Amino acid sequence: MRRLVGMLVFLVVFPAVLLGFAWAAYLAAGALAGLAVGWGLPAAYGAAVANLVFLMLVFLMIASSGLTIGERKWSAMMQNRIGPNRIRVLGNPLGGMPYLVADALKMLTKENIEPSARSKLLYELAPVVAFAPAFALFAVVPVGPEAVVLGQRVSLQVFNPDVGLLYVFAIASLAVFGTALAGWASNNKLAILGGVRASSQMISYEVSLGLSLVGAMMAYGTLRLDQMSVRQGELLWGWLPALGFIVQPLGLVLFFVSAFAETKRAPFDLPEGESEIVGYFVEYPGMKFGMMMLSEFIEIVVLAGVVTAVFFGGWHPVLFEGWLRANLGPVAFAAVGAAAFLGKTMLLAWLQLVIRWTLPRFRFDQIQKLCWKMMLPAALVNVFVTGALVLLDGSLETLAAVGLVEIAVLAGVTAASSRAAPAAAGHGPGDAHAAPAHAAGH
Amino acid sequence: MPYKVIEDRPADVRERIFLPEVIRGVGIIARQFLRNFFLQRDPNPDHLLRRTPGVTIQYPEEKQPYPPGYRGLHRLVPREDGRPRCVACYMCATVCPAQCIYIEAAEVEGDPIEKFPSRFVIDELRCVVCGFCVEACPKDAIRMDTGEHAPPTYTREAQVLDEKALLRGAPVSYLGDPWLKRAAPSIPAAKLEEMRARARPYPQLAGDEYSQTPGFSVRQLAAEAKARGGA
Repeated sequence: MRRLVGMLVFLVVFPAVLLGFAWAAYLAAGALAGLAVGWGLPAAYGAAVANLVFLMLVFLMIASSGLTIGERKWSAMMQNRIGPNRIRVLGNPLGGMPYLVADALKMLTKENIEPSARSKLLYELAPVVAFAPAFALFAVVPVGPEAVVLGQRVSLQVFNPDVGLLYVFAIASLAVFGTALAGWASNNKLAILGGVRASSQMISYEVSLGLSLVGAMMAYGTLRLDQMSVRQGELLWGWLPALGFIVQPLGLVLFFVSAFAETKRAPFDLPEGESEIVGYFVEYPGMKFGMMMLSEFIEIVVLAGVVTAVFFGGWHPVLFEGWLRANLGPVAFAAVGAAAFLGKTMLLAWLQLVIRWTLPRFRFDQIQKLCWKMMLPAALVNVFVTGALVLLDGSLETLAAVGLVEIAVLAGVTAASSRAAPAAAGHGPGDAHAAPAHAAGH
Repeated sequence: MPYKVIEDRPADVRERIFLPEVIRGVGIIARQFLRNFFLQRDPNPDHLLRRTPGVTIQYPEEKQPYPPGYRGLHRLVPREDGRPRCVACYMCATVCPAQCIYIEAAEVEGDPIEKFPSRFVIDELRCVVCGFCVEACPKDAIRMDTGEHAPPTYTREAQVLDEKALLRGAPVSYLGDPWLKRAAPSIPAAKLEEMRARARPYPQLAGDEYSQTPGFSVRQLAAEAKARGGA
């Protein structure tokens, strides 16, 4: 009961914190933009600096390092375990949060062991090259809408290039250099196996990653992520917002899966495998390994952010949007929108952890088969079908109708399979939730 | 039948699409997560009685109660006047297969009859926890009903318990105790009356209530622990 109340309070406090953070980010962006104008620079420079600090250094870093704890604590909740609780502050484990400090101390104070036969420059470069692209990707994620704050027109987006999504593809494909270099430069058989696996997997999935978003580009007629977010607020048939997952359900699934493969996490965690090849980072101690690990978690947040921007309405709060827009001031509405974006991002990051703890890992040939034989054809079909439908009807309504049918079919098939399963399995995995798990069998 | 044979059939179309099954699995895991996220974990140490799933026992904080017959750490049973019931007869030291009990007998001053152990040492590292000493004792002076196992220590020496460490727990008096019958001079007169009043017949069955000392029975400790856990 105490926990239920605590969690309900958390569900109120957490969005409030996000809202306050978004509001502070807007104010900072407006203030710095005004400062930049005062110095004779373009206002966008000041806003970019403020966004860099607030979105990338504060939100992205806190969210991704928090996910390292979330990974352990949430996985424990999914598996009916307790999770990390040995470090306590005044007798309270605080949900595992003190482990952040412990991890940082451990990583920073570990002995710096370096393989003597390494390639010196590339060995040191690899963690940076793995970390930087993941970090830089968040620059184009449009967290908040445009608003006039303190007399300046700002939006919560660090960098808004016309190429938009192409920037995402370009920077995302740089990440493979980090893993390949790490594998090669540490001069270790296992590490290079990991690096080779990582590069072949990531390069394969880049194809479907790119193709899966072509449909969304065509549907919204733009490459810019902020304009995609704006266009998702348009109403179809006067009531249904043209959200990406309605217009492009297949594109969402394909993009999510390929981006998941790009993050190199389970079920696509072939580049690392403790029982076979340790991983491309086997020769990296301390914080160098920490950077590679942290870059995975940053990729989670970035992937969640891009999916939110392209497929889940970006900064549109979706629920009560008309009322909010009518009754709140422009800055307040923008802050609510940005908070909605951050909330959706965290939910999607949580979903990725759930998937990671649900699925067993693939075999390597299965990974390649999934990519080249299933996702690539599906992505191509999606491109052609979307193109034809956009040609037929530029208002997205036909596209959305087809999308709704796709969602209905998927829901139907899923529901049918869940009806079929329990009778057969007994204590099988499908049935574990149906029986009261604590009653018997332990 | 304790297990179910699951037919190994080829995947059907629905499973080969992969996505519906993934969504179903994610649903199961998410439900598990939400239940553990919102619901208080039931800390009942008896995990079979828990309302919430999960059997992990947070060991140093939560302990599963030992069953009533558990042979735990030894104790020397005291009399009401605080002296040990032990009469230094060496039965336990004789029967001990590990030879981990050492006793030095001494006489009570001014009493030609009564003996007591001036030293009574058990090496818990040597003890094989067979319980023969408890069986052999004619005075119900040594018991293993503490419900504890030997605690971890940093040195081997700390595992050697002497009569001061062993003498603890609830005192016991029986009607047949010779020091009560003959009013031994080691007991003050006022105390003697109290001890006689509290004395009971010697237990004929191991299950007799007073063979498990009242207030110090493993059964009761287990019940208390269960109640504590449930609250």
